Amino acid sequence: MISWPVARAAALEKLRSPAVLAVGFCLLAAIFFGGSGPRQAFSGPGIAFLVLLTLIVGAGILSDELDSGHAQLVLLRPLTRAAWVGGRLVGAGSALAAIVAAAWVAGLAGAVLRGSQEPWVPALAILPLAVLWAFAWLSVLAAIGAVLPGWTNVAAAVLAVLAWAMLQGSLPVVLKRPELVETFAKVGKYLGPQDPLELATRPREGLGPAVYDLCWIFSAWLVAVVLFNRRELARRRS
Amino acid sequence: MTGGPLAGTPALEVAGLKKTYRARGGAAIVAVDDLTFAVRPGEIVGLLGPNGAGKTTAMQLALALLEPDAGEARLFGGDPELLDARRRVGYAPDAPLFPRKLTGLQILVLHAELLGFARRDARQRAARFAERVGLAEPAQRSAGTYSRGQAQRLGLALALLGDPDLVLLDEPTAGLDPAGVAAMRELLVSLRARGAAVLLNSHLLSEVERVCDRVLFLKQGRLLRTHEVHAGGRTLEVRLANAAGLAGSLGRTIPEGTLEGDRFRVPVQSEEQVPALIRRLVEAGAAIVEARLAGAELEQLYLQIVEGRA
Repeated sequence: MISWPVARAAALEKLRSPAVLAVGFCLLAAIFFGGSGPRQAFSGPGIAFLVLLTLIVGAGILSDELDSGHAQLVLLRPLTRAAWVGGRLVGAGSALAAIVAAAWVAGLAGAVLRGSQEPWVPALAILPLAVLWAFAWLSVLAAIGAVLPGWTNVAAAVLAVLAWAMLQGSLPVVLKRPELVETFAKVGKYLGPQDPLELATRPREGLGPAVYDLCWIFSAWLVAVVLFNRRELARRRS
Repeated sequence: MTGGPLAGTPALEVAGLKKTYRARGGAAIVAVDDLTFAVRPGEIVGLLGPNGAGKTTAMQLALALLEPDAGEARLFGGDPELLDARRRVGYAPDAPLFPRKLTGLQILVLHAELLGFARRDARQRAARFAERVGLAEPAQRSAGTYSRGQAQRLGLALALLGDPDLVLLDEPTAGLDPAGVAAMRELLVSLRARGAAVLLNSHLLSEVERVCDRVLFLKQGRLLRTHEVHAGGRTLEVRLANAAGLAGSLGRTIPEGTLEGDRFRVPVQSEEQVPALIRRLVEAGAAIVEARLAGAELEQLYLQIVEGRA
């Protein structure tokens, strides 16, 4: 299911990307200065940089290799396509997790320096939960990237989210049916990974989204594999 | 791993392959049309044809990197998608591109690990193959800094990394310096010597003629003709300073040769015959100004078959 050499190489690639490192540094700074502890920081100003980091790490997660033609060399090795997709996903996720972990440590250090009294358990739990949410989005980007070239997987995901938000806001008004707002909100929860950060403080409410995100990771990976299996591998010449 | 030269099942076999691309506007471009050939262990087969003849597509179809519209390819008698078959194949594409952030060595280690080598062995193997293709120092740098020739060398190292039984090389000498071309020639010969099968796509006719056992002429995706390079013979051409006075003695010493003006030509079956022939010429009193193993035959054949020139 996962090729570890591919995962290692993918993580290394991502961690050497200047864009990833720059946004990672911003996340680190935002978490360090952002709140009274990691939990507040990740729920507050840090979340914007976490979203940006996820998008940058997920950009071209498969297509970078496919477009360059290196994927065809890798997949000529005794390796299944599913293992390759799994390796790329886990590699990118590991790079992201490493940066988020560094940011979490920075947040904790900042809180200690400021003499914060944030409870330990929620502060610890916020790290895997933030990574889980980001990982779920990464797998969505991988699924889109199995068919779209370059960084257009990110563009497509952002456009889809914006389109849904516009639809959610405008359709009830245009149709003069305010009850649709609630329906859209209910449906919208299931159209992408959910925010599991609540689990850190309110286990009863947060468990559902966390489990849902786990399912998202697996489902999106499966979709990525199915879509990728339909692709011809050879790099087309211009 | 191999079954010995020219023994048993072909390493690569394609039958009735056809591939059509759709151009913008919907026009169909037939890249490969009813292509059938085989490459046996211990054999180097060359693919020759003009740009767009379908040589690269033929290689990609053979490796199942493209889906054929018709026909099938087999590696070692089996499905090219089988992981066991892939373990025994090396492929160096034309103008390869690599992850820009990884060093050549890291890319080699990745591939060695994918081939099943443990991490430590993979590192040693990667370093050895980087050195073998003349990439020892650049392999420490990120692949994004490589010149065309260095990328070509890295692609070659990747193709050879698993000691494959079948090697497909797409324009392997493009971008290489003369030393690299010579090293490539030696490499191909050593591959054949250990019983590997090689399919070589190159525009360098002289190189193809020197190393290939068989050449396939392709045009517009179709196989026009197969030419047995060595069975067809090559010619040793010698320019003599004293040709006028030697006609008689040369005819007696080397009766299979012909003298035209100051050029004496002798058909040879292999390079190994050349030193002995030169010795006999010298013994016959020939003052040799220049000697060369003619490479024009394949060129003439190419022009005749592919370009349709008389």
